Amino acid sequence: MSAADTLVQLRYRFLPDHVVGEVLSKRWTDNAIPFIALLLTLAVFGSVNPGMFTAFGMYDLAGQIAEFGLLAIALTLVMISGGIDLSIGSVFALCAMTVLTALNVYNLPLPVAVGITLGVGAVCGAINGVLIGYLRLRAFLTTLVTLVMFRSIYEMVLPKFATQIVLGMPDSVVWDELGFGSFLGLPYAFFLSALIALIWHVVLSRSRPGWHIAAVGGARRSAHNAGINVRLVVCLTYVFCGMMVAAAATLFAARLTSVGTDTGLGMEISVLTAVILGGTTLGGGRGSVAKALIGSVIVLILTNGLLQLGVIGTVSALILGVVLLLAVWLDVRWVKNRQKLIDSSYVSPAYIKLTESVNAAENPVYAVNDKLRDVQTIGLGEVEGPEDVAVDRAGNIYSGSRHGEIHRWLAPDFTRHEIFAHIGGGTFGMNFDKDDNLVVCVGGMGLYMVTPEREVVKLTDETSRSLTSVIDDSRIRLADDLDIAPDGRVFFSEASIRYTVHDWPVDMIESRGNGRIICYDPRDKSTKTVLKNRIFPNGIVCLPDGESLLFNETWACRICRYWYDGKKKGQVEIVLDGLPGYPDNINRASDGNYWVCLVGMRGPALDMMMTRPGLRRRMTRRIAPANWIYPNINTGCIIKISATGEVLESLWDKGGVNHPMVTSCKEHEGHLVIGGVSNNRVGRWKIPGADPTWSSPVDYWGAKQ
Amino acid sequence: MIAAFRNRIDAFLGRGAHSTSVPVMDGPLQPNHALDHAELFLNADGVDNLVDLGGALGFSSGARLMRAAGGTAEEIASFEADIACLASDGAGALAVGLDGAGIVLRGGAHDGRRIEALGGAKLICPTAALFAGPDTLIVAVGSEQHACTEWKRDLMALGQSGSVWRVDLGSGSEDCLAWGMGFPYGLAADGDGIVVSEAWRHRLVRLGKSGAGAVTPVLANLPGYPARLAPAHGSGYWMAVFAPRNQLVEFVLRETRFRQDMTAQVAPEFWIAPALSSGDSYREPLQGGAVKQMGLLKPWAPVWSYGLVVRLDADFQPVASWHSRADGTRHGVTSVCEHGGRLAVAAKGPGELLLMDEVTITGEVV
Repeated sequence: MSAADTLVQLRYRFLPDHVVGEVLSKRWTDNAIPFIALLLTLAVFGSVNPGMFTAFGMYDLAGQIAEFGLLAIALTLVMISGGIDLSIGSVFALCAMTVLTALNVYNLPLPVAVGITLGVGAVCGAINGVLIGYLRLRAFLTTLVTLVMFRSIYEMVLPKFATQIVLGMPDSVVWDELGFGSFLGLPYAFFLSALIALIWHVVLSRSRPGWHIAAVGGARRSAHNAGINVRLVVCLTYVFCGMMVAAAATLFAARLTSVGTDTGLGMEISVLTAVILGGTTLGGGRGSVAKALIGSVIVLILTNGLLQLGVIGTVSALILGVVLLLAVWLDVRWVKNRQKLIDSSYVSPAYIKLTESVNAAENPVYAVNDKLRDVQTIGLGEVEGPEDVAVDRAGNIYSGSRHGEIHRWLAPDFTRHEIFAHIGGGTFGMNFDKDDNLVVCVGGMGLYMVTPEREVVKLTDETSRSLTSVIDDSRIRLADDLDIAPDGRVFFSEASIRYTVHDWPVDMIESRGNGRIICYDPRDKSTKTVLKNRIFPNGIVCLPDGESLLFNETWACRICRYWYDGKKKGQVEIVLDGLPGYPDNINRASDGNYWVCLVGMRGPALDMMMTRPGLRRRMTRRIAPANWIYPNINTGCIIKISATGEVLESLWDKGGVNHPMVTSCKEHEGHLVIGGVSNNRVGRWKIPGADPTWSSPVDYWGAKQ
Repeated sequence: MIAAFRNRIDAFLGRGAHSTSVPVMDGPLQPNHALDHAELFLNADGVDNLVDLGGALGFSSGARLMRAAGGTAEEIASFEADIACLASDGAGALAVGLDGAGIVLRGGAHDGRRIEALGGAKLICPTAALFAGPDTLIVAVGSEQHACTEWKRDLMALGQSGSVWRVDLGSGSEDCLAWGMGFPYGLAADGDGIVVSEAWRHRLVRLGKSGAGAVTPVLANLPGYPARLAPAHGSGYWMAVFAPRNQLVEFVLRETRFRQDMTAQVAPEFWIAPALSSGDSYREPLQGGAVKQMGLLKPWAPVWSYGLVVRLDADFQPVASWHSRADGTRHGVTSVCEHGGRLAVAAKGPGELLLMDEVTITGEVV
């Protein structure tokens, strides 16, 4: 292998493309860009403004964050549900005035004053909520109008109390401490806000009401169809928004103890900037408390920093406006392109140099013949996609189907059949255990068992999650074939953790080690992964030695032996490499050898492409999937090998009339029963010279007492 | 500079000239199974180059020149190399192009004359010839580097060394009418001009008889690679399309390194490339849409070979078409010829000579 090849191999092995998509599919990546922006802002303004990280600077900032953060959370609530509230500045002013009037003018006790203030906030929110939620007015226009109305009320009422507010002095230690006290160098208001933020975080991310809000914002109609009371949810978000604004206004009032005509003026723009900078989407459905807080800190540092740099207020507002526009643009691009990026980086080809294949010219055993021509066809058109077959002690044939059924074709002539069991999912590899239960691999579902009484029992559908995976790979997606060890342990292959039954050949374009071999132990019902990163592990057969098994790695065109017990426990050896096709299932033959089905054949052009992962990646991005190069699974054959990997004979259906592709075959009483995953029939072929008494259940478990 | 830069970006993003999109068969080219249902006239290995021998149908089969009579064919002549093209002047003279060996004339005033080089270059790929008069022969040269049987290699090398010549058989003078073409494969006389099918560029172009070298596309962006042209009864023309365009092929054509390695190391029949017939060997590449499902190959499956005959009107615009799709075998139509009120079709892929009832533009049988 050339040095360039090695580089390519390393690049695609250790920097696989799909990791980008997997990382992007994590919800926390949503916060990555705002978080980087926060660090940048901190770095820039921290260096130009040395006062920021001093004790006083932190105290001051924390106090502002306490109020501003609550406002941002309030707006986030509304925006997650798909709305917007522009009236928060006016409500803020109204509430600040209310609490100060209640305390300074009427000398009400603090809890009553705060209660009244929250009530005022709730009423203001409820007005918005009813108009928008129940009367279905546009959020933007409605809150624009209420912004003006609340502000008018504020300006009408303010002159009546302004002087008294300044002159009055509430008699409350708590109020003073809230405004001026500190704990651990930070104001009490900060801890109060942190607590409220924590509660909202839990509500939004981990409770039913929170999910309802996100559901309404994400897809209003779907939320309605799912039984959510959309109008109520929308209305309540405005009510809670108003109450949160009231809480922020209370903290503000405690800190400044006065209100003026400019209180809360233009606040909606800076809060909106903070929320959108944090990554909450204008369209709804996406947002969190963490996003709101990140955005708040950025905006506060920005405005404070600009103030201290001597930038006048109007210019600062202009800058904030530009930042808002930038944030909106970024948000739109991010939402639009993230899923595209995830999708386009899904197929992630790896470098694989297949061992040169042995063809018919070098080994005549592979010459195409028509030995399978006189096959008996069973269930033509009645079964779709029998990937695997099994034969019970009575000689009845069982086959899977893509409809998730197990058909039973009744001996002796197999013209009659019945649905033995319906499981759902594609039914793949199947074998009988010692109690005559039919253990089945079910695509998309896991490992199942059907008892002789036709009861369907789930054995396992998840294994341990691997430590290094970005995404959760514990669920079993494509259980493919199984065999049962003498002690009852079920070894089964999961061909790929990245592709399901519908697009399993696409895994070939990757040819990455996406598969694993899993062991299910019925004694303690445990499931654990015994071999990882195998290239489409497919057929499995346990050897009679009771300590090892043979398994096929389809896209690697090889057959390996794995020791699950004994002296060589845990070791894997390649038994047969460089097959001319892609091995699927492997099963015992009556003469002590093994039948291996080749689901498709190799071609030189594809073999060459396998060493060029970049080329295959471009192919998947540039052209439609129906035009992608595939393994040639239109032609297949059956070969017989010895346990040591010697190829003894090959069986073909020249012309491909009955069995163009073969995924499975099982020997029973001198006949070979044949299945194919995209075929519409089961075949039964008389093996010349085979032992007419040999049957698989007897070979595995002995004659029935 | 900007163009080069843009080209790099296009190559990276796979758009512009690097887009692999292929025109769909729609409108007059809507697929059918008409070629599969056509009457089989006779079998002949490598049947090609249909020509009207004044009442009888002549065709080539490898190095042999044949005359069809009833359901059988008799050999008229045989040559030292595969016959690459045939042209008749309708008065007994026959121009026979030989693969790798130029053109030889049989019968008529110039019997025995050979054209072995044109413009100083050895004539190894005479893909089509046309008598423009008793003494004037128009010759299409597919490639300067590759012989006709090596057409696939020429395509995969992005060949553009094709040319069209007018040879005066009397004086021996040669005029180059066009050069730098992507495998000109068919010729048709059109008033005072000549229309050439340019296979690798999927189009028909008109050349001025003056030899000014200017080419004007008359039908572009075909969904396949056009081969021979033949005049139709009344007015209009027949066009044989010998292979389909395929997204994967278009992609490989743009992947220079892989294309070069593949053509150097893999046998041509297993290339990712168009073919005259396919599905014979399991070592051929296969595409996702061509996987047999429930024992059936879908007719729309992407394939390397296809059968297509197109009827063109007098302005060279398609008006009707006859197909053999992925589930058929009558692929690789290289030549058509009207004969006895019916249309003879040479499906070179399976080596079958077919007869179809001719259909006019308006749809009735002639």
